[in-house]
Amino acid sequence: MIRIENVHKYFGALEVLRGIDLHIKQGEVVVIVGPSGSGKSTLLRCINKLEAITSGRIEVDGYDLNDKNTDINKVRTEATMVFQQFNLFPHMTVLGNVIIGPIKVRGLSKAKAEAFGQELLVKVDLADKSDAYPRQLSGGQQQRVAIARALALEPKVLLFDEPTSALDPELVGEVLEVMRNLAKEGMTMAVVSHEMGFAKEVADRCIFIDEGVIMEEAPNHLG
Amino acid sequence: MASFDFAYHVMWESVPVLMTGVKYTIIITAGGLFFGFILGTASGLMKLSRNPVVQRIAGLYIESIRGTPLMVQVMFLYFGLPLALGMRISPLTASIVAISANSGAYIAEVVRGAVQSIEKGQVEAGRSIGLTRSQTMLYIIWPQAFRRMIPPLGNQFIISLKDTSLLVVIGMGELTRTGQEIIAENFRAFEVWLTVALIYLAMTRTLSYALQRIERRMSVSEGI
Repeated sequence: MIRIENVHKYFGALEVLRGIDLHIKQGEVVVIVGPSGSGKSTLLRCINKLEAITSGRIEVDGYDLNDKNTDINKVRTEATMVFQQFNLFPHMTVLGNVIIGPIKVRGLSKAKAEAFGQELLVKVDLADKSDAYPRQLSGGQQQRVAIARALALEPKVLLFDEPTSALDPELVGEVLEVMRNLAKEGMTMAVVSHEMGFAKEVADRCIFIDEGVIMEEAPNHLG
Repeated sequence: MASFDFAYHVMWESVPVLMTGVKYTIIITAGGLFFGFILGTASGLMKLSRNPVVQRIAGLYIESIRGTPLMVQVMFLYFGLPLALGMRISPLTASIVAISANSGAYIAEVVRGAVQSIEKGQVEAGRSIGLTRSQTMLYIIWPQAFRRMIPPLGNQFIISLKDTSLLVVIGMGELTRTGQEIIAENFRAFEVWLTVALIYLAMTRTLSYALQRIERRMSVSEGI
């Protein structure tokens, strides 16, 4: 599903990724851990082409991200991102956040998108919040909306960039619960996280990155 | 020294005549801000363009307008340009063009500032769900930026309204000019200028009240 080959990434003179190789198979949950500044978030952002790689090759669902003929907007709908800071659209309701992708990108009618959006909000346990605005919600609720917004594109992969790091400790559980359920349903997921308990329980594989290289790759025998 | 007697009735008597000037002040302000907003939005967005040529064109426009006095712009437009082009333009056209071009340059900076103030994460979130650059601008960035533009935009609206008084230099019969004409007949400078000032005040107060209402309505629609 995701094929990363010998990827290097420089920010100016600083080499953040120093030759990363990683394959993520369909249905696999890969948790990427490592100290801050190790390049793990950068790697995830490269998969979404929010950062361009300096050299190497990234393939998502068979599309080469560096190929000029690749429609990056199409690729992004196959691998959508959930951000640390949620990045919900503050001027739209919860439902509005969820349905804008299906309407503008997938071309769904408003009625169909709303029905689908409501379904997704049930899934993240926020059915009663569809008319609320993001700033009226707690961090945990906002992140669950962000997950619903990403799911609304019916992506093949979800990319999580430290999804619980900006949350108060008591709100972490509800977000992990949603992620756990997605994993059970067979969603392919790449998760940058510090939640070792979650990694232990849900991950098929754990990747340790430090100073831009994969130090250790461990299949999870406990999960 | 002759004693000054305040002729209260002169104020009331001058109002009907001044209203013909008010009409032009409003037409010029409304027209100038309408086109100024279009011009300002276009050049503000051009300044944010990734294309350096497009950026430079917008920069040149903004800098040359902001760097020269409005009165010089107005006189150049009305007295200077027709000589070069071999065609006359009416004072009203010149006035609307001048206010448009002038307010557009300032509005461009308001637009640019507001768009740049939106967090980078908003663009990333838009792009990561597959929206194109222009869709992200249209549906995600612009509506948020527009809300932030309202206070500085209101400021510019009030400045432009007051700037129309400079159009006396090309004989445009707006409020200030009308006041001058009344004084030329009755020599009641104190009463007439006071009346003119109060009418400007009423117009700017109405404008800022309207803008406050819009601002309030917009924050309600964000659930604040």
